[in-house]
Amino acid sequence: MTSYLQLSSITKTYGHFTALSDVNLSVEKGEFVTFLGPSGSGKTTTLMIIAGFEKATSGLVQVGGQSITQLAPHERNIGIVFQNYALFPHKTAVENVYFPLQMRGVSRSQGLKKAEDMLSLVGLKGFGHRHPKELSGGQQQRVALARALVFEPSLLLLDEPLGALDKNLREQMQIEIKRIQRSLGVTTIFVTHDQSEAMSMSDRIVVFEKGRIEQAAAPLDIYHRPQTSFVAAFIGESNLIPATVTNASARIAENPVLDSFDYAGTEVLSDGQPVTLLIRPEHIKLSRSPIEGRKNVRMTVETIVNYGDNALVIGRAGDLTMRVRVLGADVVIIKEGEECCISWTPDSVFVITK
Amino acid sequence: MNTFMRWAGFLVVLFIAAPLVIVVPMSFSDARSLQFPPPGYWLGYYRAYFTDMSWLIPTWNSILIATATMILTMLLVVPATFALVRHRFRGKGFADLMMLMPLAVPHIVMAVGYYSYFGQLRLVPTPFGVILAHTCLSVPIAFLVLSANLKGFDRNLERAAQSLGANPARTFIHVTLPILRPGLIISALFAFVQSFDETVVAIFISGRGAETLPRKMFDSIRQEADPVIAVISTLLFAIVLVGIVAPYFISTLRSRAPKPSKPTGAH
Repeated sequence: MTSYLQLSSITKTYGHFTALSDVNLSVEKGEFVTFLGPSGSGKTTTLMIIAGFEKATSGLVQVGGQSITQLAPHERNIGIVFQNYALFPHKTAVENVYFPLQMRGVSRSQGLKKAEDMLSLVGLKGFGHRHPKELSGGQQQRVALARALVFEPSLLLLDEPLGALDKNLREQMQIEIKRIQRSLGVTTIFVTHDQSEAMSMSDRIVVFEKGRIEQAAAPLDIYHRPQTSFVAAFIGESNLIPATVTNASARIAENPVLDSFDYAGTEVLSDGQPVTLLIRPEHIKLSRSPIEGRKNVRMTVETIVNYGDNALVIGRAGDLTMRVRVLGADVVIIKEGEECCISWTPDSVFVITK
Repeated sequence: MNTFMRWAGFLVVLFIAAPLVIVVPMSFSDARSLQFPPPGYWLGYYRAYFTDMSWLIPTWNSILIATATMILTMLLVVPATFALVRHRFRGKGFADLMMLMPLAVPHIVMAVGYYSYFGQLRLVPTPFGVILAHTCLSVPIAFLVLSANLKGFDRNLERAAQSLGANPARTFIHVTLPILRPGLIISALFAFVQSFDETVVAIFISGRGAETLPRKMFDSIRQEADPVIAVISTLLFAIVLVGIVAPYFISTLRSRAPKPSKPTGAH
């Protein structure tokens, strides 16, 4: 049983610069996969290789068991939505959506009808006669989506499509894209550098960094069980503490500042192994005095960033900077410059070996 | 300051418009030669222009030569612009420079060059020689206009077309060409006007076989100062005026037309 979209050992070099090295990925039919990473991490290059606009230096792209590596972009039957939408300015919305059908020899009357239906699906019934410049950013987005879906593509690629929209509209479009994607069951690859977007939309997140895949997993796995310290630092707020395993069988590690403490997990580690320990800020409790049954550390509060419903307390424990997430109502107990106690339980300490 | 600026503006406009203020009345003059202010008014010189073959033939020559120049220029400039704007290759900087060279060289130098070189090739005086020379002069102008347009062209539009199933040829016909159309038209128009208006080279190489309108006007003003020159100037000005005003007028009319009723649905 092979997967629907298969990337095998994709490498891309530009002269001496390696943009992608040995990228392997399997995507199941109907899956919504997000490529997440900082700019220059290789996520867009991978997308362009799938679309056929970039040629991989080596490696194989397969869709439905067939290699498309050698096909030109127009032979691939892949729908793309670009960040700037790339709507044809000389055509109306409905003509834009009709374009892929026109290229496939569908008659004008039939094609325009199908295009109108597609516009209704994306919530633009009655807007077909307008030119792109007469539509708002969100509407153009919907037209681009309709155009990329109307010919029933084997894949839908979205290249940071929400980057140009303001925050409220972006959240609205996230929900909208998910709804449309689910109703059509189209296999989708979504490229973004916005982690909250990736979290809320994806079945699976693929984290890219420096031309490689750091981790590919479900959003909550990525958040709670990051494989590398890059992923841990890139996704969400995190406390990353360098430590050394002192007793592998009892699962105890040591840090010069924090002394020894227990960690959770099932990985087999060995004594003396250097590791990184991840504690998410929301798993740390802030109190005036030590709490029984938890690992307690004294911290001097340096900054309090208030978000209303919650606050991020940043402080120093020895030479470590610690971040603690507290509920908005609890923040009144502490002031900047004061000393307090932070504590956690062993099961909120996650070990990262890479 | 404000008053000063207003006066300065007025003077600039006056300075630019002055030739017109003089030429237009002179075209309706009944004097035997160019004279301002005209002693009396009639339309005789308009009739003279439209009936005198010695004026109509150069007009016709100019239109033919300018049209041919425009076509030849575009055939050269369109592929060259795509190559120079979109691709990187060895010697691109030099190629860019060569495209723009005719702008830097004085027309009189070019004219002398054409005169001696085309003379040897027996292209003086032929329309073909003038077309070739005018094309050289039009290429940099057409290139500048078109490359500015092409640089602003969003290549994602072509990528989108390809992802939607259009092969490169259909992408060009359905997307690239229609979007670049205004740029192409303006570029071609500049080539046409450049040729139609060009005098120096025409004086050197157009001769009796291919006499252009500017050359005929120049000859005429030297010999007899025929007021028909004023007529032609006025007519040319009128054509340009219509060319500028008409699109503005049309777009104003369009924007005043009632908009289709507002559709309902998502926003």
